[in-house]
Amino acid sequence: MPAETNGAPINGAPNSNTVPATQDGAKNAPAADSLAATPANTEKLTAAQLKAKAKAEKAARRAQVKEARVAVPAPSPIQEKGATADAKGGKSKGRQDGQQSQGKGGQLQVPPATGRRPSSPVLEKDVRSAVPDCFSHIPMSKRIPTSQAHKDVHPAVLAVGQQMATFALNDSISRLKATLLAFAKVIESYETPKGNSLSRHFVPHVLNPQIEYLTECRPMCFAMGNAIRLLKGKVNKFDIDTAEDEAKEGLLEWINFLIKERITLAEYAIARNAAESINEGDTILTYGRHRLVEKTFLEAKRDGKSFDVTVIDDPFERTGQELAKTLRQAGIPVLYSPNLGGLRPKVAAASNAFLGGEAIFANGSLHASSGTADVAMAAMNAGVKVIVLCETINFDRDRVSVDSLTYNEIDPERNTGDCFRLLFDNTHDKYITGVITEFESGGGNSPAQAILALLRKQEDPLID
Amino acid sequence: MAPSQAAHVPTLDNLIKSFNNQTLEASIESLIFLLKWRQVKGDECAKATAHILRQVVAKSKWNDVDQLLSRIQSYGSRLARAAPLEPVIGNVVRRVLGLIRDEATEDRNADDLASEAASDIQSLTPSTNPTAHPPQRPAPVPIRPSPSVISTGLQVSKSMFNLLSVANPGDSPITGASTPMSQAQPASAHALRSEVMDGIEEILDEINQADDQIAGFSEIQIHPGDYVLAYQPSRTVEKFLVKAASKRRFTVLIASHAFSYGTSEAPYATLRKKLNAAGVNTINLASNGLMAYIPRVNKVIFSAKAVYQNGGLLVDSGSCIAAQAAYEYLKPVIVLCPVYKFCPEDPSDEVSRGELGNPSSYVSYANGPAVDALDVENTVTDYIPPELIDVYLTNLGPQTRHHLASILADHYKTEDIGFSLQLGEP
Repeated sequence: MPAETNGAPINGAPNSNTVPATQDGAKNAPAADSLAATPANTEKLTAAQLKAKAKAEKAARRAQVKEARVAVPAPSPIQEKGATADAKGGKSKGRQDGQQSQGKGGQLQVPPATGRRPSSPVLEKDVRSAVPDCFSHIPMSKRIPTSQAHKDVHPAVLAVGQQMATFALNDSISRLKATLLAFAKVIESYETPKGNSLSRHFVPHVLNPQIEYLTECRPMCFAMGNAIRLLKGKVNKFDIDTAEDEAKEGLLEWINFLIKERITLAEYAIARNAAESINEGDTILTYGRHRLVEKTFLEAKRDGKSFDVTVIDDPFERTGQELAKTLRQAGIPVLYSPNLGGLRPKVAAASNAFLGGEAIFANGSLHASSGTADVAMAAMNAGVKVIVLCETINFDRDRVSVDSLTYNEIDPERNTGDCFRLLFDNTHDKYITGVITEFESGGGNSPAQAILALLRKQEDPLID
Repeated sequence: MAPSQAAHVPTLDNLIKSFNNQTLEASIESLIFLLKWRQVKGDECAKATAHILRQVVAKSKWNDVDQLLSRIQSYGSRLARAAPLEPVIGNVVRRVLGLIRDEATEDRNADDLASEAASDIQSLTPSTNPTAHPPQRPAPVPIRPSPSVISTGLQVSKSMFNLLSVANPGDSPITGASTPMSQAQPASAHALRSEVMDGIEEILDEINQADDQIAGFSEIQIHPGDYVLAYQPSRTVEKFLVKAASKRRFTVLIASHAFSYGTSEAPYATLRKKLNAAGVNTINLASNGLMAYIPRVNKVIFSAKAVYQNGGLLVDSGSCIAAQAAYEYLKPVIVLCPVYKFCPEDPSDEVSRGELGNPSSYVSYANGPAVDALDVENTVTDYIPPELIDVYLTNLGPQTRHHLASILADHYKTEDIGFSLQLGEP
């Protein structure tokens, strides 16, 4: 995933805006002083002065940071707007717990340095330089101390960014949900400057810095890209004269709607659909742990079906072990394979393979955790159906990917020649029998290539 | 196996040294013990088997060829049964059996010549003496097909007898090559013993040199700028890569089953050090799935534990993932397999199911609920079907799977191919 995904064209906007506006207020410090003295100035001048000041401040801070880089203290909680960040706090556990605790209230807490990355957090350029040359084009998440973040970044977003960088929020949907909730906080605390309108001012001056920061922490996932595109579209639709409160109310409502429709209900509908496609006595094979697959199994068990599950795990992540335990507790017989050894016979013994996806590209290829492609291919070659479970918000209609080295991420923990790992791989659509989304019912599922049609079917009414 | 040995497990070298001081039975038992405990694996099995068979020839009591053959067969099958998933043992036993048969033939031909008072012909070229065989023949041994079968048999099947049939270019159906030498004199038994032991020595040399010979082909296979994926590089693969590194600049991606992250030394450190010193980049991949990296890779290299006669491979598990991924992307898969790993059998069901290994490195016994609840299967060997393999790089040079039959025919005698079938009946 490239760092500047969907936000790219507008992301650049704030910087380029400042340049022409600095005609009179540029660079001269007095301008900042006069700001307070002359509040009744023309808007243009005020805006320009504001920007000039911001720019000067930013430059100063950067210089400071550069000097102080050697000894950056652990990020301290942001207290000034603590209340607004409440909804995002409290995710101090490992990455697996991020999902459950996410969205719930909690005390404000900057994610600690535990979890995946015990090593020292601040080693920016050096970290990148250790990446083997042939993979150097692939982005990697990085931890930015909150003290180095852009000052416009909202505390709620700061917290989410930290959680993403530490993989406390890992899978696309929990990242999307956290982002949307954080943006809701941003919208709540937003006040349109005098003489501006929300539809003109909000995106370039408030939203984009947040997006930039999040992207810097970890390359955006495709679901986030989609949601941000929709959100921007939504904001732009507001008439210039729309009252601020009305617009904010509308946006908050829309975010709620998006979370409910595209995340909560979608998850439910997919689990339902997929569970229906499990037959009595089936052996279902899955790889790693994906929340949709887990839900599906539990759902099918609740329906009273008896079936076996084979969990193939990645020995370098071992997420499947948790899944295996959960399923076992639910009374489902589980065969657990800690690695991809013996994949062929295991796949051949299965009746279906259920795989969870991070995203699906416009050409129908699946973007999922590393190793999924190998399992899908083995299953397809053995004549076993490969069913992918994926919410439509994860579908990317603009990008096409034919190999795993186009859009991917380097594991920030394993990024050297001594130990290297890509987080995702790309499964060609010929290894996918069907995709179960929230749109199908009755156990039918669409081929992976049909995603564009699917998107057209549902996306238009959402933007309005 | 002696329980006292569980305390200290000797290494292979010590074991081989100890062969000289121990009785034959004790040596066999300690080797079987090590095989069962997987202390001797892979290439070492071949070496150990050759050494122990040498002891059998040297120490056991036998008066004629048949006795020697049956000794080797019985000891060999005991070893093979101790490690059913090490076909290399059976291969070495077969080689030794074939060697004895060859020596026996030569001996007898020599005897025959002598009996005809043609002893001045020392060159022992039997083909020049089609009528050299004495008219009276002892009955053939049971494991041989009856003469009538052979007389109607195809030329092909005869050619498999290799040297044996050469002894009878006159197309005499009764080759008699392995007929018992009941009248063999002790003197000739003594000569046979030393000849067979020399022959086993040669097999050992072949085993020892195979890796270097294979490495000699590295220059042809690896080109400058290549990205080579080496799956769990064995000693054979290491030598191959290091040799290539002395001539070429390329990049090696090393993948493996699993390694514990966080240990002070990164895996394959010695290999990587050697390669880096030669200016070859190395990258350790911490991933089981390899589809993500294959687009970058030019060729996949790993070594086989055994090659079956259909061209299928027995390998460390995970190699199959690499081969499969490479096959899908049409990248060449090169398997390094010395000739002694070629096995004149078809893979059994067990082989294709894979051997199960110790799962405790994945699911800790300290983790009570997990141990209690899970059926954990850690498969440690895989079977790779022949279609996924492009090149079988042997110490005799690169081969394709269509040519494997002739390699097998060159190295094993048809009488011994069924060796493993006798495993069930000790």
